[in-house]
Amino acid sequence: MQNDFAHEVANQRQTDPDLAVSARELTKRFGRFTAVDGISFDVRRGEIFGFLGANGAGKTTAIRMFCGLLPPTAGEAQVAGYDVRTQPRMIKQTIGYMSQKFSLYEDLTVAQNIEFYGGIYGLTRPQIEHKTGLLLDELNLRDRRDTLTQSLPLGWKQRLALSVSLLHDPSIIFLDEPTGGVDPISRRNFWRIIYEIADSGKTVFVTTHYMDEAEYCGRLSIMYQGRIIEIGTPGGLKEKYGLDTMQDIFVHLVGGDTRKEAKQ
Amino acid sequence: MQRILYLVQKEFRQIFRDRSMIAALFFVPFIQLVILGNAITTDVTNLDLIVTDLDRTPMSRTFIERFTTTEYFNLVEVEEDYQALRGHLDNGRAKLAIVIPKHFQRDIVTGRHPDVQALVDGIDGNSAGVALGYMARIAEQHQAQIIRMDPMLGRPLREARIVHAEPRYWFNPELESEVYIIPGIVALILLIITVFLTSMGIVREKEIGTLEQLLVTPIRSMQLILGKVIPFSILGFVEIVVAMGFIYVIFGIGVEGSLWLLFGESAIFILTTLGVGIFISTISETQQQALFVGWFFMIFAILLSGFFIPIANMPDVIQYLTYFNPLRYFMVILREIYLKGTPLHYLLPETLAMAGFGVAVFSAAVMRYRRIIK
Repeated sequence: MQNDFAHEVANQRQTDPDLAVSARELTKRFGRFTAVDGISFDVRRGEIFGFLGANGAGKTTAIRMFCGLLPPTAGEAQVAGYDVRTQPRMIKQTIGYMSQKFSLYEDLTVAQNIEFYGGIYGLTRPQIEHKTGLLLDELNLRDRRDTLTQSLPLGWKQRLALSVSLLHDPSIIFLDEPTGGVDPISRRNFWRIIYEIADSGKTVFVTTHYMDEAEYCGRLSIMYQGRIIEIGTPGGLKEKYGLDTMQDIFVHLVGGDTRKEAKQ
Repeated sequence: MQRILYLVQKEFRQIFRDRSMIAALFFVPFIQLVILGNAITTDVTNLDLIVTDLDRTPMSRTFIERFTTTEYFNLVEVEEDYQALRGHLDNGRAKLAIVIPKHFQRDIVTGRHPDVQALVDGIDGNSAGVALGYMARIAEQHQAQIIRMDPMLGRPLREARIVHAEPRYWFNPELESEVYIIPGIVALILLIITVFLTSMGIVREKEIGTLEQLLVTPIRSMQLILGKVIPFSILGFVEIVVAMGFIYVIFGIGVEGSLWLLFGESAIFILTTLGVGIFISTISETQQQALFVGWFFMIFAILLSGFFIPIANMPDVIQYLTYFNPLRYFMVILREIYLKGTPLHYLLPETLAMAGFGVAVFSAAVMRYRRIIK
């Protein structure tokens, strides 16, 4: 991030430097359908903040607004101090993003994917080479450097995708259902990395519909039909409702109708 | 700028990863040239011919020989019975029948005009017309020769002159239709490569989700577009060169005019096709849809370009429609440069029309693309 753009980014921070994400009455409507309905919350730097909800609850729409992919219909939101409406490019340079869809090029090798995304984020050649080495060591992929990405197991692909989305050293990382389709063991390993990321001072914003993942979050909000119906720490919520698991709380709040969608 | 270079590098890596893609890049123009160049021909050769000679004299036989010694006709039968001729045409044994009347020789010698009858199977109107043309020419040559050769005959006709217009076709003296068709194939190859690669390349990234990943990077939409358009344009030009090489090797036809002019005009032309490719990508969610829409566009572009069917032969309304087809102008330009070596100033109207379309289509497509990916 030592290019001009990074300096530009650094010079234009305005609001509370402690806030990574803040939303005020943020709303997104598609025609007559309200996907996100006036949500408000703050996420502090270094937090692991979860968005829990069934499919179609509005999680992905919300996250797309924070990433500058979708302009809000009403309300306001700031990410790293930048307005999502007016400064989407600043946001994009500051955040990392990994979606439920596998986002690497399957027909490029591991090293070529790293090189490509590094280049897109404006890293210089020496920086890319340095990062590639670090990353391959970290992921234990040194001998798979020139392997096509498509031949990696899914769990590794996702870890690689996560690493690639961290190449430009973002201060906030958005993960949209990052562990979809992965077995519980790989999921736990993946979360180990998420903790490491948070320990290094980065903010992690993650959406999920897995209840075990909800337990891992530092703080989480439960979304239902576009609204945030509860927000708090997993421990605090359990205490408040006198229930033992996030699963129970979720079912209690949302009702039985979405039980089959919220997977264990 | 750096970002565009990374995008272009990535695109080429993906293209060349796929061995079948490289094969296709050389194989497609080769096949198209060989098949289209030879199959779409308006020349008529080996036309099956039946002759009924009611005269049976040396003169009638030399007349028939004139037909059998060219490659245009293929004598399948000599039918004695005039009434049976029609049956041969009906059942397809022959496309053309010639009837030499009784007293053919006598009439010639005495200075009368014998009428030779020709019956043509008119199902393929084009071939029928061409066949009749050949026939008339043979008959005319025959007359001229009789007059020259026979001093006895020549005497009374000494003062007479057979005036006949003999058109000289320049640039394609044999009137071979390959020569006319082939530069058009270069245009088709360029059209197909740029429209399909651009539209499907963008839609593929939509499908696999990498487009979304790119959109959360600080990359600008214009950089993203250039990152697609640059590599596919380069491929388009490689294809032109490959096709021109094949044309030279297979058909022995080289470019008469300026190569640089040809490349420049091609660059103007692909503005339109890249624009169409980008536009298709904005209305397609899957590669199948892109393929379908691409075909739909191309069929019309090709049919209304004058590639197979001369525009002058089309109904008026359709002729006006062709003015909205950039391929129409490019066809003319390519043929002119390729076969005649026409310089730019004679091609200005077509060039300007094509440039107008190119700029309009490309900017409209880019604007739509930028709005859609927001």
